Amino acid sequence: MKDIKQAVIFFSFYLKVYWKALSLGAILTIMATYFQVTAPVYMGKSLTELARFLTTWMNPMTRSTASKEHFYTALLMLLAFYIANAIAMFLSSMLISKVSSEATGQMRHGLFGKLQKMTIKYFDSHQDGKILSLFTSDLDNIFNAMNQAIFSLFSNLALWIGVIIVMFQQNTKLAWVTVISTPVAILFAWFVIKKARTAIDQQQDAVGRLNGFVNEQINGEKVIITNGLQAQSLHQFTDYNKDVRQTTLKGQIYSGLLFPLMQGMSLINLAVVIFFGSWLVLNDGMDKAVGLGLVATFVSFSQQYYQPITQITSIYNMLQLAITGARRLSEVHQQDEEIESENTENLPYIQDKVTLKNIHFSYNPGKEILHDVTIEVKKGEMVALVGPTGSGKTTVMNLLNRFYDVDAGQVLFDNQDIRHVSLQSLRDHVGIVLQDAVLFSGTIAENIKFGQPTIDDQAMIEAAKQAHIHDFISSLPDGYQTKISDENSVFSTGQKQLMSIARTILTNPDLLILDEATSNVDTVTENRIQKAMDNVIAGRTSFVIAHRLKTILNADKIVVLRDGQVIESGTHHELLEKEGFYAELYHNQMVFE
Amino acid sequence: MHILKRHIKTYRLDIFFAVISVMVMAGATLLQPRLLQEILKAIMASDQDTVNQYGIALIAVACVGLIGGILNTIFAARVAQGIAADLREEAYQKVQSFSLSNIEKFSTGHLVVRLTNDVWQVQSLIMMSLQSLARIPILFIGAFILAITTLPKLWWVMILMIVCIILASQILFKRMGKYFGRVQKLIDRINTIAKENLQGIRVVKSFNQENNQQQKFDHDSDNLTQLNTTIGYLFSAMFPGFMLIANLAITVAIYFVSLGVASHPQDLAAIPAFVTYLMQVLFAIMIGGMISTFASRGLVALRRIGEVLQTTPDLIDEDVNDMTIKGDIAFEDVSFQYPESNDTTLKNISFNIKPGEMVGIVGATGSGKTTLAQLIGRLYDPTHGNVLIDQVNLKNISQESLRRGISYVLQRVILFSGTIAENLRQGKQDATLTEMQNAADIAQASEFINRYDDQFEHLISERSANLSGGQKQRLSIARGVIGQPKILILDDSTSALDARSEKLVQDALATHLKDTTTIVIAEKISSVRHADRILVLDNGRLVGNGPHETLLKESAVYREIFETQRAKEI
Ligand SMILES: Nc1ncnc2c1ncn2[C@@H]1O[C@H](COP(=O)(O)OP(=O)(O)O)[C@@H](O)[C@H]1O
Ligand SMILES: Nc1ncnc2c1ncn2[C@@H]1O[C@H](COP(=O)(O)OP(=O)(O)O)[C@@H](O)[C@H]1O
Ligand SMILES: [Mg+2]
Repeated sequence: MKDIKQAVIFFSFYLKVYWKALSLGAILTIMATYFQVTAPVYMGKSLTELARFLTTWMNPMTRSTASKEHFYTALLMLLAFYIANAIAMFLSSMLISKVSSEATGQMRHGLFGKLQKMTIKYFDSHQDGKILSLFTSDLDNIFNAMNQAIFSLFSNLALWIGVIIVMFQQNTKLAWVTVISTPVAILFAWFVIKKARTAIDQQQDAVGRLNGFVNEQINGEKVIITNGLQAQSLHQFTDYNKDVRQTTLKGQIYSGLLFPLMQGMSLINLAVVIFFGSWLVLNDGMDKAVGLGLVATFVSFSQQYYQPITQITSIYNMLQLAITGARRLSEVHQQDEEIESENTENLPYIQDKVTLKNIHFSYNPGKEILHDVTIEVKKGEMVALVGPTGSGKTTVMNLLNRFYDVDAGQVLFDNQDIRHVSLQSLRDHVGIVLQDAVLFSGTIAENIKFGQPTIDDQAMIEAAKQAHIHDFISSLPDGYQTKISDENSVFSTGQKQLMSIARTILTNPDLLILDEATSNVDTVTENRIQKAMDNVIAGRTSFVIAHRLKTILNADKIVVLRDGQVIESGTHHELLEKEGFYAELYHNQMVFE
Repeated sequence: MHILKRHIKTYRLDIFFAVISVMVMAGATLLQPRLLQEILKAIMASDQDTVNQYGIALIAVACVGLIGGILNTIFAARVAQGIAADLREEAYQKVQSFSLSNIEKFSTGHLVVRLTNDVWQVQSLIMMSLQSLARIPILFIGAFILAITTLPKLWWVMILMIVCIILASQILFKRMGKYFGRVQKLIDRINTIAKENLQGIRVVKSFNQENNQQQKFDHDSDNLTQLNTTIGYLFSAMFPGFMLIANLAITVAIYFVSLGVASHPQDLAAIPAFVTYLMQVLFAIMIGGMISTFASRGLVALRRIGEVLQTTPDLIDEDVNDMTIKGDIAFEDVSFQYPESNDTTLKNISFNIKPGEMVGIVGATGSGKTTLAQLIGRLYDPTHGNVLIDQVNLKNISQESLRRGISYVLQRVILFSGTIAENLRQGKQDATLTEMQNAADIAQASEFINRYDDQFEHLISERSANLSGGQKQRLSIARGVIGQPKILILDDSTSALDARSEKLVQDALATHLKDTTTIVIAEKISSVRHADRILVLDNGRLVGNGPHETLLKESAVYREIFETQRAKEI
């Protein structure tokens, strides 16, 4: 019930703007329904008139008065109703198509926009695949439902009610006969739907598990091959597949049962109507011509009466999926967005220093990662963060760029708390090279120009040269216009990182953060980048997170983190003399002659 | 189609029943208007008995139809899911026989789609075929013949209607097919953008590119909306259009009956039956058209699965032998080129490694270190030259022996969701707790594993999201050493470890895996400095081979690398 409420709110939000088209569509639907249910009446009438004519004509006494005029009128009416029905149906269906594809387009736009605004926390705590399925399956389900189900529900209800009204106008007894079996049909349908739903749920679960398994295994095929685990993998697969086998069989049977069942019920009902109708004509002393027309009319009615019931039950599943989809989308829309405090200012260029002041931070409540960390970078200086894995280096970076907000303490640019400046200007000032290089599909040029799409090629090539990737790119047949994607690129891991360095260099950031940016580049290349980087870093305030100490020997300050605490800090020489944690790291890592 | 043949045989009995039941169902549908006609005739003749007889027959026929329908669903479902599951299993088995280059040629993502989505499409296709495919021709032909026998004079009305509808649907479906192809492409593009924005959300945010990405997304999304609307319009025209054609045919039929009604009064009673048959013909055509669009999709999916099934694995074992590997490795003039690449990645490489040696491999990124290591593990076969282990060509050693003797710790760590123990046991299926503990000790993983309450039973989540890079590498190393391999390849496997842990891992390897030939690929000279020998790669060529001291003197490439890592004088 809560789902339905949420879905209604969600749909009304997106459909509000289309109220005119929707009302028009509704009117047209009702009109189409009216024409559709009235047409059989005229068909009956024309048959009746024809029969009357025949009776009159057969009788030699009255033959001269026989005229088909009434028949022609009825036939013309029938024709008019058929045409009107087609036109109304066409127009309403067009409106509905337009509204549903546009509304879905809006939802897609809204969803993507929302994702762009949400906090990093959301992405860190939700699986990409789950989020992605909002685009791939939920939006799809909603579109299908709007296009085929929601409006069809409306028009079928209209049709159903229309048929009932007209039937009772025509002949009460026959009308009762037609509708009497409805509760039985609905009961059957309800039972089958309920069964089908549980079965389908189980089926979807099993299929989801199987898909997840297949995905993971094939992505990890290198491990499977190198360890010779193929048989084992196949064995596991068979288990998942067996599950899918069993649940799918049930799911398919129950969900496939509905249609033949309803159609069968409709057939039986039709038979009953015909049977009873003819009995009525013969025993109720009805005019035979009228009776003939009546039976013919009710044959049509009986089919039309059952059609909406069959339709509604068969779209039930679609509706259910759309409701679930709407719920998931509204849940996303309810997620926190990145907080922009109100009177935000633009961050000016760094004048003096960037400070992390007495910072406490936890990703999850109760599990503090950073404990009272204080780090200061003077303008134009380079501060290096070192420390074992998991000590919180990346976390510090997350805070500097406001991917996360501190629990206590402050991140200050000069004396400005970053929570009081606009996110946009903060991130304009801060340039990051992330640990995992990510590329986007598009050309190499587009990737380097990612942060500055409008910049000229000269600057791009300059950046590529500084990152020592220009020569490689030039060696490609298509050069900078080579098409790449994250999975399918011409780059090695190290080269990918060079790309992301080039991308960052191009934005000319005020504060530069390098998160182990060169850990997958060989030291010779790194040395070359380093020289270029030295130029980039020169005069620029920077944070460098590195495992390779060689890259940070020239740092103005080295801060050693351990378990979320600063345990040492100073220049390379100072720290070596201290003979503490850093000195040990250094001795372990470097080659001494 | 022929990939289904064998499966069809397996389920031939079910298929038989499905077809029979659908025929019964179609028969019942067809019989009904005929009975109706008889009843109307009886009404005209005021013949109560006949009305009763036919009435009962009518109900009986309806019941038979219902039962036929239910049985058909059950048999169709059995066949569809059975074949689909068998097919999926067959395809998965095939994929597991693939070599890495096979998989790369398909690309991982596409393979997954073939095993999941495509099989699902085929299942729908089979289900639909068994439910409708048999029914449609029967209904169509049956209704057509019966309509003509009901009112023989009006045969041309039927023909005219059918021609009109087929012409109209030809035009519509042809255009729609084209549009559907474009829709699929757009959907793929949209999904790619969404996926990349999820993976790269930090990049997007830190470069303030939210708006640009939204624009890029909207461009494709708006095109999709447009296309969906157009398709919607076509569909909007379809149903009312077909109905109108049929209704016009009905009106015309009634009119022509009326012209001759004086001489053929019995035609009057035939009208309702004729109308019903006409509608049945219409629906048969419409459903047939719809199925053929679906079917074409299913057939594409079937073909794509067929491609997987018909691929022969690249690495074929020819007269292989089981052997216990001792750990001697030799490259004889080995060159290698990736299938999709136009450069040779390794060029004329020759060297020998003796059992128990520790050999380092250094070189710039992209110089071919990983590629070389992959040849030792026979993930690929060399394009030229031979790789020998214990003087036997790799191609003549059974996969089984190779996997037992060689352990390869990948540069990019891959762990599977499941417990730590499950992941470690991939290196040795029957590993005991003690063995796991030893392996974890060597890899310096015990320290964090012991911090979990459930230790080796601790769950690793999907994409190892709950582990840090260093933790993942340690588990990966532990998995590599647990089987006590004779040859151990560590491909940059300690890059995420801090120097101290790295040293501890190396020391542990030196003591616990003394007799193992260890190949250490590393960026850091300090990681390989103490190796018995170091191979230096430069752009796919072997340019140095010797211990640290010798290389320092003789190899310029090595010296350059060394210079970048030399400790600064204090
Ligand atoms: N998104 C997250 N949610 C919860 N915990 C996290 C998240 N990211 C990192 N952590 C935890 O925070 C700690 C510090 O991690 P990190 O800053 O990545 O360390 P480093 O960069 O020094 O290797 C680790 O214990 C890690 O497990
Ligand atoms: N699967 C592949 N297909 C095509 N080319 C590849 C593939 N893997 C690596 N390469 C290319 O082969 C070269 C050597 O790569 P690799 O062996 O990974 O180098 P290293 O391990 O020394 O960094 C690189 O230029 C890389 O682009
Ligand atoms: Mg490599």
